[in-house]
Amino acid sequence: MSGHLLEVRNVTRRFGGLVANSDVTFTVSPGEIIGLIGPNGAGKTTLFNVLVGIYPPSSGEVIFDGKSIGGLKPHQIAKAGLTKTFQNVALFGETSVLDNVVTGGLVNRSLTDARRFAAECLERVGIGAIAQKKAGDLSFPERARVEVARALCTSPKLLLLDEVMAALTPAEMEEIIELVRSLRDEGMTFIVVEHHMKAVMKLCERLIVLNFGEMIADGTPEEIAGNRKVLDAYLGANFSTQGEGH
Amino acid sequence: MTRSNTLSIALPALVVLALIIAPLGLDPFGYTLRILCLMLLFCAMGQAWNIVGGLANQISLGHAAYFGIGAYSSTILFGSLGVSPLIGVFVGMFLAAIFALVLSLPTLRLKGHYFALATLAAGEVARVVANSWTSLTGGPVGISVPYRPDAGFWALQFQTVLPNYYLFLGAMILVSLVFWLVQTSAFGYRLRAIKENETAAEVIGVNTYRVKLHASILSAVLTAMLGTLYAQFQFFFDPDTIFGVATISVKMALIVILGGAGRLYGPWVGAAVIIPLEEMANSYLGNSIAGLSQFAYGVLLIVVILLNPRGLISLFESLRDRLKGRQRA
Repeated sequence: MSGHLLEVRNVTRRFGGLVANSDVTFTVSPGEIIGLIGPNGAGKTTLFNVLVGIYPPSSGEVIFDGKSIGGLKPHQIAKAGLTKTFQNVALFGETSVLDNVVTGGLVNRSLTDARRFAAECLERVGIGAIAQKKAGDLSFPERARVEVARALCTSPKLLLLDEVMAALTPAEMEEIIELVRSLRDEGMTFIVVEHHMKAVMKLCERLIVLNFGEMIADGTPEEIAGNRKVLDAYLGANFSTQGEGH
Repeated sequence: MTRSNTLSIALPALVVLALIIAPLGLDPFGYTLRILCLMLLFCAMGQAWNIVGGLANQISLGHAAYFGIGAYSSTILFGSLGVSPLIGVFVGMFLAAIFALVLSLPTLRLKGHYFALATLAAGEVARVVANSWTSLTGGPVGISVPYRPDAGFWALQFQTVLPNYYLFLGAMILVSLVFWLVQTSAFGYRLRAIKENETAAEVIGVNTYRVKLHASILSAVLTAMLGTLYAQFQFFFDPDTIFGVATISVKMALIVILGGAGRLYGPWVGAAVIIPLEEMANSYLGNSIAGLSQFAYGVLLIVVILLNPRGLISLFESLRDRLKGRQRA
């Protein structure tokens, strides 16, 4: 093994006749912050769901931390150190913010230790003040932060963040970017799906682009910004060629 | 400690104290005491159901199967082999655990209504088997617990209702204690996560299948134990009552849902309302129109779920919060 944290090899995921991910291949090294971008419906969330085990891959292989995880249950993958946040937010709504996060900590801790670590995670994400509130009563940006704290409490090696910055103000976005960077400095690895391009370009050192389920590019933000295929995918083929004349 | 915390400990303590003192003024052979006995027993049964139905929201409508297995195991062993119900109760608990395990393999993958229907069917299967396996169970005519008042505690039979009452009170407190231990442990956190969002629970590391399986088995074992106590109290039962959908399975669920699902005192409130209500319905209406009390039951369930699916406890709480808010303002 070449020291990769994650290897995605020729992963395809079909739903009946629909191919949501087609032959996706890439690797992630420890300590990277990777942006996964692409137009709506490109298969970003599906790829996340395949990686954490919600859907098994239809074909292909996923190797995480030296072990093949394709086909394992989500709780086994979480225990191995790979989890995600939910784009449409899937908190335990009737439960307090603290208890939501504590539940994440139980994957590898006793209840007492999970309580202590959950309090740390809440502080880290900046929501210590709302620990006792019911998760279902929170605003969307607050709930997204609870999602992050709950995922952090599982002590992941690789964390998949699915649009946690949606609906945040620029200042709040800056806080999340700082948080992700500092966690990376402590050894955590990230794949980030985000529609806010400025934030993605600022946060990520490498981008992977999906379009209609296929991977069309993998490179630095600068490389991706100049990539013809990517421009075509986002703006339409005609627009980018016509654009050259102006 | 806040005032509401003190209240939530003091109030149940007062209730238990009242339950200890209450029968002393009552006729030890009387009807009222029997009603109180049933109230305590059904409270304990609701609490056993609450572990899996309340905390994890796995709405089982087949718990009568475990109840009946407990009742039949100890009664058959006592009747045909002379084995003390004190031993028979454990046999029943063991067999109920096996039944829960076998039933869980296919049903725990089902969600919502499908799970409820599958468990309902399993309870009915148990009833049909008990009705047809006449050589073992005595069939539709029912089975009697041999009356051995001389044998004392070894036969788990008593001269008056009073010892039964305290036995049921102890069982109710024991099952409530088990529920509380589950609720406040890591197990309880996992069960609540399953109730709220099973996919999210998996993704953050909860082995949802195993957690549900363990809860189902624990709930089944406790229900079987109560089945033995019921048999020793009634001395006679038949497959249609002990494995009954309305008489046992739905009643267990209703008691919890009416009081407050997933709440420690939910079954306390539910049983305190339903059992006396049912007795009143039976004595005032039962003679004139057969089955009216069961009809009343169904109506009650629908009304509760429509008006306040979180149960009576949450009704008290919101009332209390509103009063508090008014004081502050």
